[in-house]
Amino acid sequence: MSLARAYARGLWDGRLVLGYTLLLSFALFIIAPFLMIALRSVGKGWFGRLWLPPQLTLDWYRWAIEVGNIPEVMKNTLIIGIIAVALSTGIGICAGWAFGRRQLPGKEILMAVILLPRMIPPITYALGVAKIFYALNLVDTHLGVAIAHVSVCAPYAILVLSATFEGLDERVIEAAGVCGANALKRFFYVILPLIMPGILASMIFSFTHSYNEFTLTLLTYGPHTVTLPVRTYLAVGDGYWEITSAMAVIMVVPSLVILAMIQRRAKPEKLVGGFKGV
Amino acid sequence: MTDFWRTRKSVLTTLLLLFPALACFFGLFLYPMLLTVVLSFRPEGQEVGWTLANYTQFLTDPDGRWVILLTFILALGSTALSVLLSVPLSLLLRAKLSGHRWYRLFVLVPLVIPGLIGALGLLLFWGPRGWFNLFLLRFVPFVSRPVPVNYTMHGLILCYVWLYFPYTCVTTLSALESLDPGIEEAGAVSGADSWQVLRHVVLPLIMPGILAGSVLTFMAAFGAFSVPLIAGGNYRPLPVEVYKQISIPIPAHWSAASAIAIIMGVLQVVFLALYMRLARRTHGTS
Repeated sequence: MSLARAYARGLWDGRLVLGYTLLLSFALFIIAPFLMIALRSVGKGWFGRLWLPPQLTLDWYRWAIEVGNIPEVMKNTLIIGIIAVALSTGIGICAGWAFGRRQLPGKEILMAVILLPRMIPPITYALGVAKIFYALNLVDTHLGVAIAHVSVCAPYAILVLSATFEGLDERVIEAAGVCGANALKRFFYVILPLIMPGILASMIFSFTHSYNEFTLTLLTYGPHTVTLPVRTYLAVGDGYWEITSAMAVIMVVPSLVILAMIQRRAKPEKLVGGFKGV
Repeated sequence: MTDFWRTRKSVLTTLLLLFPALACFFGLFLYPMLLTVVLSFRPEGQEVGWTLANYTQFLTDPDGRWVILLTFILALGSTALSVLLSVPLSLLLRAKLSGHRWYRLFVLVPLVIPGLIGALGLLLFWGPRGWFNLFLLRFVPFVSRPVPVNYTMHGLILCYVWLYFPYTCVTTLSALESLDPGIEEAGAVSGADSWQVLRHVVLPLIMPGILAGSVLTFMAAFGAFSVPLIAGGNYRPLPVEVYKQISIPIPAHWSAASAIAIIMGVLQVVFLALYMRLARRTHGTS
């Protein structure tokens, strides 16, 4: 025991060197997979024990676009994402207004119930969603897949927008009223600009979740609604690593744009859905 | 009387505002859940009748019990590793060493990247022709053949850690940064060296944050589906087992799949309840 303590203490004493080593290995751990994908997607004849591909080519991208049908898939993903974002932000604004600005008996319990889907693995209710969608003929329509995504996106939108509406200062709105603004003007000129950052954050988070959603898509997609994650999964099944890597590179670009937006506009705690207490 | 109508109207407005959220909850979560429960008690492929066969079949099968055990091993292993990675990392990030903004960005990368892409990259990186094995073969003595990582249990745990540690790390970091620096100073003034301050002051104070983050990592790892589907090989945790039941046999085994899904949901809820109870008891208020 004392040996272990001495060891931990020794580590702590050399913490600066150790710290930089840890940070660098961490950075390598995060970046290395992307470097491998990027290299694999432009490499040709890369066999055996070589660190870098011997020849460079863009053929795999051409294959991905022509055979993998990436433009069509990208269009599907965007349409589904936009519908899902619109629906979940609408739900989020209504519920956020109720939770943040109105008297509600049992607010905490109601909130916990509405956020419950995040506690359950998606595959458990995805089966039921798929069954219902088969009965309603919603499978393989953009609207259907988007509605399925809402079940994942909406809790995050509600969480973010409730906090936004709670932070809204009542006195500012009253001041606008005193100055003669009617309800409509108050909403568009005072409330909306104040909650805009929250709405933007909720849209970014909803889009990320819709863009990455795989479980619910896999159970409700069809030939006309293949999204990027599903396409990548199918490509992995086919076993052409180079073409799959090219698809992955195309797919990562929007995610990185979103990452830059999150870094500027929103607090990262909200992305993980900050639990209060355990 | 007007007062009564006003409150009535206000209640109605509140209900109207909550309606979309509740509709989403009932239509996309509760009703599908109930449907899954009902389906799991139906005999395979039939619309009527009740049976427990789907549950007993899975639970008495040694393979089924191994699947449950495997899911727990994977989820708990990756949660433990995530905590081990996150706590030193967030302490370092708080120290604001040079370039810490970049490292903060790196922490968020796995959250916004589709899980499949991360898994694909890790498969390439750990693979027999990936950089990891090239490095071992070149620079480490006594390694003469590639070390198998892909499609093994430890490889799968590494994938989970890569993808799900940000939940723990972000929560721990935000707990650390909301800590009052005065408390640490008080510890130092009272004669504790920096290690003692960390061990006896900082760690107990950020424990609730670490626990909350590890719960999120555990939930994500327990329900992980896309990663084990492509990177699991012969290791199929519960979600993949559910999908296998409806994707491989023709006609699909919806009742068996539902039964496994319900077992999974119940296990997760029970485990989370126990974990939170334990955490609350060992750490007083949290």
